[in-house]
Amino acid sequence: MISVADVTKEINGRVVVDGLNLRIKKGTVFGFLGPNGAGKTTTIKMLVGLNKPDAGAVTIDGKAPSEASAREQIGFMPEAPYFYEHLTGLEFLTFCSELFTKHRASQDEIDELLKKVGIFEARNQKITTYSKGMKQRLGFAQALVNDPEYIFLDEPLDGLDPIGRRALKVIIGELKRAGKTIFFNSHILFDTEELCDEIGILHQGSLLFSGPINEFTRGKSLEEQFVAAIESLTDAEDAQDDTQ
Amino acid sequence: MTTFLKHSYAIAKNTFKEGVRDKIFYGIVAFAFVFITFTIFLGSISLGENIHIIRSIGLACIYLFGLLSTIFLGVSLIYKELERRTLYFILSKPIARGELVVGKFAGLLASIGVSLAGMLAVYLGVVWYEGGGFDALAILAVWYELLELALLTALTIFFSTFSRPLASIIYAIIFLYVGHSLGLLVSYAARSGGFLVYVSKALYYVLPNLDKFAIRDTIIYSSAPTLFGVVWVMVYALLYTGLLLWLSSRLLAKREL
Repeated sequence: MISVADVTKEINGRVVVDGLNLRIKKGTVFGFLGPNGAGKTTTIKMLVGLNKPDAGAVTIDGKAPSEASAREQIGFMPEAPYFYEHLTGLEFLTFCSELFTKHRASQDEIDELLKKVGIFEARNQKITTYSKGMKQRLGFAQALVNDPEYIFLDEPLDGLDPIGRRALKVIIGELKRAGKTIFFNSHILFDTEELCDEIGILHQGSLLFSGPINEFTRGKSLEEQFVAAIESLTDAEDAQDDTQ
Repeated sequence: MTTFLKHSYAIAKNTFKEGVRDKIFYGIVAFAFVFITFTIFLGSISLGENIHIIRSIGLACIYLFGLLSTIFLGVSLIYKELERRTLYFILSKPIARGELVVGKFAGLLASIGVSLAGMLAVYLGVVWYEGGGFDALAILAVWYELLELALLTALTIFFSTFSRPLASIIYAIIFLYVGHSLGLLVSYAARSGGFLVYVSKALYYVLPNLDKFAIRDTIIYSSAPTLFGVVWVMVYALLYTGLLLWLSSRLLAKREL
């Protein structure tokens, strides 16, 4: 289980995440939504151990992800990833696999993964020759190289063409059926609605909603409800500013 | 192999590949060109005692090209990864920041070592061709140069955990200059006397004393250091480098990504 308890995080004197609480059961596909600057990426960085909360606690199956050993069961795909451009796709995945102790992918598993994300044919090309979509697929592949139980994806569908998006959604579906827990940030609400069991909505660092997607949408589309929720908050904040 | 070594080795291998493919070997080609051109020039003006000059210039050039690679690659080693966020891939995996620092250091040092070995091979060939025979002591001089560059690599990695590459280059050059002037500093201070003596002594022991690695001039006249001297310099380099890498990993651990 992923647990985020009363987490607060400040960056450069600004509170980016403010008293956040989340509990995500194993096997859930969880979409984390919010406007730009809401604190989604900061949250995901704390979940994968890149940063630590200033207050509160983040745990995955009871362990803090800031402990290196807790990250054995985590896969993370950052937003708009940069790569070691002098390496080939195959070398990069092999390198990523070597950073794990418990599950080091074999050559066959790496080949299988490259086939799954659709860049097997380009495996021996330098990453610098890859298109944006191919890099996105490679970023996705490295997040799966250790066969993780918990997969964190930051804007995984950005920069992909419709075929690429379909391919990744199919893989996410397979991972879900395999009982993996998937946590992803996304701006693409249509895809989120299609993939997720539950969502969390963050606005200016505070959680507006967390729960099953149909509890939030109440018969409307996710986009419609999401925009209405954020706009009503923004209007209320503007009105408060005016009265002050 | 312990987990620490396995992880550091994987990072070192990756850094080495990147270093080797990132034009570091252009330095060897540049060295070969400059050195061979100089030797031909020296030969053409037919100086009688040219082999000493060839050895002196050759070893100084190996040091200079190694130094340039070390400073320019070292200062951006961690900084570039922070800026480009490639560290996200590594540090979201079960890697401790100390493993990252040691791995990056070892990978860069390995590329610099290969580059020095390449330049040394060109040097030995040219000296032999010019009638100087097999210059075995030059191998020791280059080994000392590598030890100094190891310390400087650790120093540039240390700077790159908290400052931008340009600032790190300036710090590295200051440390390089001061590190080669500590002996002079102590002797000048001794002549002045008073408080300066204590300050200079403190600086002498705290700052990296790079003069310990400068044996090129004695080697050229076939004077080798003692075995104790060689071991002591290696221990000094190891301890100072270890301390800098430890400080770098502590700083990186505190840094927000």
